[in-house]
Amino acid sequence: MESLNLEILLIKNLLTVSILLFLITGKAQAQFPEILIPKTAIIQYAGSIGYLSAGAGYPLFKNKRGNLDFNYGFVPAGKGGPLHIASIKFAYRPIEIKLKDWGRIYPLNPGAFLSYHFGKEFDLHWDKSQYEKGYYWWSSALRPHISVSNELKLNGKKLFRGSKINSLSIYSEFNTNELYMVSYLQNMGGLGLSDIFKLGFGVRLGF
Amino acid sequence: MNTRIVHLLLWVTLIFQACDSIEYSPNQIFDNDSPRDLNKKNLQWLSENAADDTIRFVLAGDSQREYIYSKKLVETINDIPGVDFVLLDGDISDFGLLQEMEWVNEIFSGLKVPYIGVIGNHDLVANGEKVFKRMYGDLNFSFVYRGVKFVCHNTNSREAAFNGRVPDLTWLKEQFVPEDGVNAYVAVAHVPPNDGDFDAKLSEEYINTINAHNTLAALYAHIHREDVFYPHGQNIPYICTNAIEHRQFMLIEIVNGKLEFRNITY
Repeated sequence: MESLNLEILLIKNLLTVSILLFLITGKAQAQFPEILIPKTAIIQYAGSIGYLSAGAGYPLFKNKRGNLDFNYGFVPAGKGGPLHIASIKFAYRPIEIKLKDWGRIYPLNPGAFLSYHFGKEFDLHWDKSQYEKGYYWWSSALRPHISVSNELKLNGKKLFRGSKINSLSIYSEFNTNELYMVSYLQNMGGLGLSDIFKLGFGVRLGF
Repeated sequence: MNTRIVHLLLWVTLIFQACDSIEYSPNQIFDNDSPRDLNKKNLQWLSENAADDTIRFVLAGDSQREYIYSKKLVETINDIPGVDFVLLDGDISDFGLLQEMEWVNEIFSGLKVPYIGVIGNHDLVANGEKVFKRMYGDLNFSFVYRGVKFVCHNTNSREAAFNGRVPDLTWLKEQFVPEDGVNAYVAVAHVPPNDGDFDAKLSEEYINTINAHNTLAALYAHIHREDVFYPHGQNIPYICTNAIEHRQFMLIEIVNGKLEFRNITY
């Protein structure tokens, strides 16, 4: 039973990695539908989705101010893991400040994301033989988060002449999850927003 | 010049604040400044107490997601004279998360006396067991204070899917083997043996083990109400404290080998 669980876990992990790799290298596939080819690659430090995470992103909407990212992150044992985390992230950039022709600032970008922790300690559904319905109301594997980020986007044509990189962004992102949020709401004055919002930094390359 | 220094200090504060906010995952087992081995450290502190003839301690439980009431509890206990230590009897956290145990420890660090953390079912959720073991210590442990042996143990059978190994009766029996310097026993755990979350297959032998010795009481939390019962018709009280969410706890005293308790509302 234990080894079966491990195998399922391994397959899940491999699947996620291969989908990501497929998406990242998707550019080479001529027959691959254009819309599925990711337009950005992301590397993020911390931010509750891994010590390091990497992913592929898609711009959303006509103005490309939205993005949808698929990340895979890990936390090594020396940093409080081992943990393996997949996440799907959405964010929108309502405000744009142009910096001549070399860059743009997006100062306040609200977003939301889901993170999923792999492993037998983390349950998507609580075991029905072990717990009555509603014994624990949350999922320990799946975490919904809300986020707010800021981003400095540099023009790749200016930065890397003749390269395929269109843009290079650096961003910082604060997020909290629903479990921290209920803790905060139930203890107004006892916990501060700085207690429940957690930080991460990232780099985004646009192609 | 002065404004520059102020600016610099503001930035430094902000950066430190930000570094404190770095999180790799809510389920990470530790971060840069997570405390370690709290029970060991607090028991060392307790052992430095000057001897007197009264043992007075607090039994509180279920601090889970109750940060304001936990702070009030700490203030209340700090105003009670002669308290030797506090037992925080499980469900320290609600979701088994590092951040919760850190918040709770920050609050309980405000106590003027040591506190001892005991494992609860909620503390075993997700990575909670690993977080607890690193931050507090073993799930089963004991300490002797002024001739009384406090046997703290894991009774969260449901979290082990009632596998017959929680509570660990072999370990428990070893704790009651006669030894020098021990005149009496107090058992401490989260789930009481008459609760549905306790492994029913083990409850008879469990109670027999505890009641077969000079045990003054068995202490529990979990049920979020005050309760006292005497299993097998013997005169050993099994005492459940109310939860921090109801702003109640038990104040317990052992004088001349006799244990007395009363419920306190704050």
